[in-house]
Amino acid sequence: MDRRRGQQQNHHHQNRRHRGSGWNPSPASYSNSRPTSASWDRDDDPSGGRVPATARRGGFTNRYVVPGVRSVVGGHGRRGGDEGYDDDEQGKARANPDRESPLVGTCPHMCPAAEIEQRERLRDLASFERLHGNPAKTSPELAVKKFCRTISTKDVRPSDIRPIAVLERTLDYLMGLMDMSDKPFEIVHDFVFDRSRSVRQDMSMQNVVDRKAIQMYEKMAKFHVISHHKLRVSGQGSDEVIVSSWHHLNMEQMAKVLTSLYNLYDVNQLPNSLHENEAEYRSLYVLLCLGSDSLPEGETLPLWLRRVPSLVIKSKEMSFARKVLRSVRVGNYKRFFDTVAAEASYLQYCAIGPSIDKVRALALSCINTGGYKLHPYPISHLSTLLRMKESEMEAFCEACNLATSFDEHGNMVLTTKQTGFTYPKRGFEKYSFTGTDENIGR
Amino acid sequence: MAAYLSMGEAHRRINDYLNRFADSVMSQDVGSLKSLLTLTADSPFLLAVADSISLVQDGNRLIKQSEKYSQLAEILVPLLRAIQCYRVNNLADAYHAFEKAANAFVQEFRNWDSAWALDAIYVVAYEIRVLAERADTKLSSEGKSPEKLKAAGSFLMKVFGVLAGKGPKRVGALYVTCQLFKIYFKLGTVHLCRSVIRSIETARIFDFEEFPNRDKVTYMYYTGRLEVFNENFPAADHKLSYALKHCNLRKEANIRMILKYLIPVKLSLGILPRDWLLEKYNLVEYSKVIQALQRGDLRLLRNALEENEDRFLRSGVYLVLEKLELQVYQRLLKKIYAIQKLKEPGKAHQLKLEVIIKALKWLEIDMDLDEVECIVAILIHRNLVKGYFAHKSKVVVLSKQDPFPKLTGKPMGS
Repeated sequence: MDRRRGQQQNHHHQNRRHRGSGWNPSPASYSNSRPTSASWDRDDDPSGGRVPATARRGGFTNRYVVPGVRSVVGGHGRRGGDEGYDDDEQGKARANPDRESPLVGTCPHMCPAAEIEQRERLRDLASFERLHGNPAKTSPELAVKKFCRTISTKDVRPSDIRPIAVLERTLDYLMGLMDMSDKPFEIVHDFVFDRSRSVRQDMSMQNVVDRKAIQMYEKMAKFHVISHHKLRVSGQGSDEVIVSSWHHLNMEQMAKVLTSLYNLYDVNQLPNSLHENEAEYRSLYVLLCLGSDSLPEGETLPLWLRRVPSLVIKSKEMSFARKVLRSVRVGNYKRFFDTVAAEASYLQYCAIGPSIDKVRALALSCINTGGYKLHPYPISHLSTLLRMKESEMEAFCEACNLATSFDEHGNMVLTTKQTGFTYPKRGFEKYSFTGTDENIGR
Repeated sequence: MAAYLSMGEAHRRINDYLNRFADSVMSQDVGSLKSLLTLTADSPFLLAVADSISLVQDGNRLIKQSEKYSQLAEILVPLLRAIQCYRVNNLADAYHAFEKAANAFVQEFRNWDSAWALDAIYVVAYEIRVLAERADTKLSSEGKSPEKLKAAGSFLMKVFGVLAGKGPKRVGALYVTCQLFKIYFKLGTVHLCRSVIRSIETARIFDFEEFPNRDKVTYMYYTGRLEVFNENFPAADHKLSYALKHCNLRKEANIRMILKYLIPVKLSLGILPRDWLLEKYNLVEYSKVIQALQRGDLRLLRNALEENEDRFLRSGVYLVLEKLELQVYQRLLKKIYAIQKLKEPGKAHQLKLEVIIKALKWLEIDMDLDEVECIVAILIHRNLVKGYFAHKSKVVVLSKQDPFPKLTGKPMGS
């Protein structure tokens, strides 16, 4: 768990030393005390979401550097001092105000040589970085620079910073690891979580805010959104506490990455079109807010929607997201499931994630409240409606504290007007999502 | 603008300004003082002073020369600079200089025992905000990063701190609060309102009733809007209604702004405004919405939302209006029930789902049985309909007593 201990690294997540709360504060580098649900200052964004007019015109050079917009990349977040200064934030750039021109990194590998040497010596290598499983040996092909919280730009040497081309390569390598199926998801997530944060840090220090930054932030956003879904449904039984806190930490970073991404879209806005994936990634914000009003420390939806460019509003992806939002707010579970099944991309499905079971529970509650007592509701029909497998329905009803029974023909039914319905607690079982061609219910 | 300004005349004008400033401070004449600070009002007097400063180029020397104004030098030096920069449209520097002057002024103000200069503080607060806004607009148009308004916010927080004490100066705090609200809303950093709201509402030194009426209305307007964004409708109703009630009837533009938010709130509570209100204050964007609620016409509601999508999204009321869909369904069922009551009073309380489908189809809305059942179930769940639905018979059976409960106890639709 790179981000939880500064000492010996051990990648079996069965190591229970640092379970739950109370992270070890760690000397100097590689430490990461658990961030609080803290101040995420969107007002660091000097444009307040508004785009400088010239940026709206197309045709500026690849590296459009907006002075004073270092805060754009790497998200925001002036944390209240006690938990330590957070990562790639503006504070880093401010740490060395006399550095007029942005740093240009020269490190040719995914990990600076100095760090490789140090970590080999300290035997501080993640399982992915070990050469033939040797805890004290790595290689430039395997080692990836760790996220370092307490760095100040003054002490940074260009040889420690990876230039953009190397960062792109690093990110692609990390994303490739996500497709590895032999390790449990949580282990891969943990590694990619930390290392991609370091990528963001390097980007921030070099003030990368152009189209390449967009591509890279999209990849990282995708990672966090998929993790948002997968962390919730994995980790059943074992290590629930840890995985649930990872889920929370992931949400925080996800919110930051998305905000930075949206700022990048704004700063690099084209005159009459959107970036290739912009509509989809913008729509994710709406979908992630379905359960509550906003992302952690994020803007509430009405305020967020105010400032979305109109091309985005008109896009298919945003219309989809708003349709889903409407159906959730009105409580139209039928329309919710039909819409999601018909139109959601995998990424959007991941963003909707927890709301699916919430809507299912709402449906059960409505049917239980309003259904005629003498007409028990057929489970087979209900399962089609809620897009679950019939075999899962009994367990789901039970999770809602509702009993199922059998009618005279042997069909499973739900008798209505039961008392004691509750919304299931967090940590739902993983249910399928049936009836789509794409099998998004992975 | 003067065609030709002589050096002598320029000197005279600058001295005139400095004299007025020093005199008004000495005699505690806030009326005069105010007029010397209103940069953005483009008063001919200040314009003339500005031209003079440009010509003389060394106004600072004039300030330091005379004992009368040298004591106020910390204020006057940057103030003259601000006036001049503003005149030549160097807005970023104008803001920067004005903030410096304002800061020095506030420090002086803090040392004065009485609150005689409070009106001047109001002017300073206002100018800080407006100058910052204009500076940011200019910066943005030049491709630079606009950060003055944010700085203005920080500055005004300091001013708030100076006013938040036990003495008579504290009644000025609400005005500064409102300027802060305007800044935060403009910047989109609305979450920052929280801390200043907390100070106003919980600090014991403040008595809300003591504040000037104008400020109370503005305050309730903004806090009411925040409640709308957070969908706390009863609280939003209370605050916006307060603002409406105490707003000067002649300030029609302000009344319109309050109503823009109050109407969706009232609609959510089941209260419909009369047509004349919409017409008088030009809020016709809501008329179709209201008609839809009166008729139970879902198609009309959707049209109204689509037609005004941009406007509703920008003001932040779109999501609130969207949710009115449920009340429209309720109304539709009520109409079907009323019609059935005329035809066959005995069985009127049983609505076949098929009939509802037909009614919706007539409104060009396609819904299958499942979805209609779902809507009915939700209406029952949310207590908009009293009764139950029978899945097998595909029928909703309304309660004989009060099948369509009112939302707030007030009649819906008049």
